[in-house]
Amino acid sequence: MVKPIPRIGSRKNGRIGSRKNGRRIPKGVIHVQASFNNTIVTVTDVGGRVVSWSSAGACGFKGTRRGTPFAAQTAAGKAIRTVVDQGMQRAEVMIKGPGLGRDAALRAIRRSGILLSFVRDVTPMPHNGCRPPKKKTCVKIGTEDISRERNDSMI
Amino acid sequence: MPHLLVHHQLYLHQQPLSPSSLSLSLTHLHRRTSFANNLCDSCSITTGISQHLMTPLKNVRVLRPSALNSTTSIRCMANPRRVKMVAKQIRRELSDMLLTDKVLQYAVLPEVALGADRYLSSLTTISDVEVSSDLQVVKVYVSVFGDERGREVAIAGLKSKAKYVRSELGRRMKLRLTPEIRFIEDESLERGSRVIAILDKLKNEKKSVEDQDEGQSESSYPSEDDRDWDVDDPDEGIVYIK
Repeated sequence: MVKPIPRIGSRKNGRIGSRKNGRRIPKGVIHVQASFNNTIVTVTDVGGRVVSWSSAGACGFKGTRRGTPFAAQTAAGKAIRTVVDQGMQRAEVMIKGPGLGRDAALRAIRRSGILLSFVRDVTPMPHNGCRPPKKKTCVKIGTEDISRERNDSMI
Repeated sequence: MPHLLVHHQLYLHQQPLSPSSLSLSLTHLHRRTSFANNLCDSCSITTGISQHLMTPLKNVRVLRPSALNSTTSIRCMANPRRVKMVAKQIRRELSDMLLTDKVLQYAVLPEVALGADRYLSSLTTISDVEVSSDLQVVKVYVSVFGDERGREVAIAGLKSKAKYVRSELGRRMKLRLTPEIRFIEDESLERGSRVIAILDKLKNEKKSVEDQDEGQSESSYPSEDDRDWDVDDPDEGIVYIK
């Protein structure tokens, strides 16, 4: 899906150095991957080439605090700040995974002044493909036991 | 189910017993002989006094903490760590169901049925799950992002599917008694977002007021010291292009 960038020997594109900073992208795509323990926000352009990213762990939160909605808010704010200066006005949001980061990051994006054109949910869904890992059985506590599925680690 | 009877009795009769409240006549236990001859008007269940003494006593015994044998109590409090683990597991299962289950998705977002290709008008998230200490009642706090109508549709759809969700949960998790599920709308995320927006606005206003003050003090002496201004303030020469 990524279109190759002609770099070597092409005069039309100008200096490679200016490619990194001088891109004016009026419209972009914001990917939010929200798992239970962390939230990663990546800003790309329409083709999918990454412009900037940030995550709850990168904002200084550690451990269980990375999964909180406040951490997701700060991560989204930080990722967008670099891009708003470059002049992005409209954005499409793609959300992946369960987790509190979904809602919180969306609200932060809307608050920052970027126009949200679309909100999509792109959680990977198999059409019954690979076999999921086996259910983990818990240690018996009292008279009942809970069997847990090991999920969400791949999302 | 004797279990249910307890709650019923609770609502009609119960006052938690403490040494100070023994003097209140609200309890229908009729332990004291002076009350033995009174007929309770509010007790709609029993008529005779002997019945009165028997049935509520036996059931109310459950919550009296003192002076009775613990062998007759039907207390079913689970280990708090276990309660937390069950809550976490229920949260995982419910989030998974919201993402994958077709029936639930149609209830929350009716346009999925039309094949909207995941262009959503509202986004539902489960923010918190609280389980009662006897693992019988589960309160699920749901936060919806979207406009007013989308929010109403989502919450109404979820509440209508509560029984279906309960049966699905029972199928996925192995518990002795599948708890009753209640969906509650959670506004805390939105409130937090509003507060932060207000704080940001205040910060920006303060900054712009400061800038204005600087601008006024600069413009009061435009004719004099032009050369000095160029040297001191590099910001003056910049023209902002939008």
